[in-house]
Amino acid sequence: MRLSVSATRKGKIISMTELLEIREKIKLFYSRFETFILPLAKFLLAFVVLSTLNSGMSYMGQLDNVALVLIVALTCSFLPTGAIVFFGMLFSLLHMYALSVEVALAGLCMYLLMFLLFFRFSLKDSLVVVLTPLLFALHIPYVVPIAVGLVCGPASIISVGCGVAVHYLLQAVTDNAATISTMSDDADAAMAKLRMMIDAMIGNREMMVMIAAFSITILTVYLIRRLSIDYAWTIAMVSGALIDIVILLIGDLIYDINTSLVSALLGSLLALAAAKVIEFFRFCVDYSRTEKVQFEDDEYYYYVKAVPKMSVSMSTKTVKKINTQHTRNGAGRGAGSGYQARNPQAQRSGAGRRVTTERTGDRRGYGTARSTVQDDRRRSRSVTIGNTDQNDGADGSEDFEELY
Amino acid sequence: MLNEDRIILMTHMASYESGEGKRNVKIGNYFRSDYIAVQILKSVICSSIAFVIVFALYVFYNFETFMQGLYQMDLIAFAKNVLIYYGVTVVGYGIVTYVISTYRYAKAKSSLKLYYHNLKKLNALYEQQ
Repeated sequence: MRLSVSATRKGKIISMTELLEIREKIKLFYSRFETFILPLAKFLLAFVVLSTLNSGMSYMGQLDNVALVLIVALTCSFLPTGAIVFFGMLFSLLHMYALSVEVALAGLCMYLLMFLLFFRFSLKDSLVVVLTPLLFALHIPYVVPIAVGLVCGPASIISVGCGVAVHYLLQAVTDNAATISTMSDDADAAMAKLRMMIDAMIGNREMMVMIAAFSITILTVYLIRRLSIDYAWTIAMVSGALIDIVILLIGDLIYDINTSLVSALLGSLLALAAAKVIEFFRFCVDYSRTEKVQFEDDEYYYYVKAVPKMSVSMSTKTVKKINTQHTRNGAGRGAGSGYQARNPQAQRSGAGRRVTTERTGDRRGYGTARSTVQDDRRRSRSVTIGNTDQNDGADGSEDFEELY
Repeated sequence: MLNEDRIILMTHMASYESGEGKRNVKIGNYFRSDYIAVQILKSVICSSIAFVIVFALYVFYNFETFMQGLYQMDLIAFAKNVLIYYGVTVVGYGIVTYVISTYRYAKAKSSLKLYYHNLKKLNALYEQQ
């Protein structure tokens, strides 16, 4: 029985079990090659961040160089993730400096304030500070609050807020670049440039609305996903997306910030899709097999709700036993040897070395899809090279009931 | 001889030590009051620098107004206002730091308690053998 249809490819239906198998394969692949995948991911992220920054600002020609970006990205690949934040900020400051010293000064002050006041408490979420402006640049910012609410805690509100502020700082620089570059270099012009940057940040209602919307969304998603209700993650992400849109619309009505409703809706739908992927990898449970138990000890009553995780075992071949060879009647090695797994009865009468193939499927697997799990188990095999004198039933007779 | 339970326990503990445990052990080395005091001290320094930056930006932003009204301005009242703002900033940030540090210390301690319990369990497994 197919549990749910998740995707179609070349007319073939991919069942949930197959998706779970793919997930296990991905996990296995990641755990096997983590040493290479992690630096590669850091390298790619650093490369994308710096390239996006260069294409968006490009005031300092020397930085807009693929070789330099590659070298820096390569450096980031073996440094902690904080290095990407550092180089991202350095690149943006250098671009600002090329445009104007005053702009760079305003940017530096803002970065310093963020480091001194906020990053002290959420240093481990530094990646969010880079990802938020990046996703803004890629026009998919609504993924951020829902994904962060699902994966991180409420403390990440600070990092997301800083990320949003960084995006609007960079936007303020690019928006005012044409005006700034035409201004002279005298003291009055310097003051005017600084004032322009400060106004662009402090008086930016859109930024404030965005920070408020993202913060409330993160908090909502986090609080709902931790509730002890069925489909908490799905409810959390849908509620988060709706709240995000509603707050943006309210902000638009009050402050007239020209938020595009269509882009917010499309972005939220994309965010839901991304959140579903995250849920699949982080919190894939089968609510149909939820168990509720109640017990007590001397001090407490316990009301426990246990929701089993969806999981399937990978197809593997395992040699379970290699026993010493005995022959009962000296009928020769060939008499009972060979591939006898299809007939368990034959194993007792056979003499000499034999190979028994058995399944190694996870019995806990997927309760409501018993037949599907059994299909999976049939694909999985383990090999027993056993003693023919031994009573097969004594060693996990259940396994042997399911032999080929 | 290899003991599966022991290996599983040791793997969990090693994973903890290399990740979250590293920070928790660092926190656990302090007494509660010492840890919170150090964090608040850091906060005072950070908030002071942050206040100086914001004040400098404020002065630059209103530079012309300051220059024009410098001689008519009541400098003592102005300094008093600045000090009040500074005090509010530092105390406010200090209170936030106190709350966060207290929460983090309690969390780290309970996490370390579990870790030490596992250490005892590991020791018992060695003795059993």
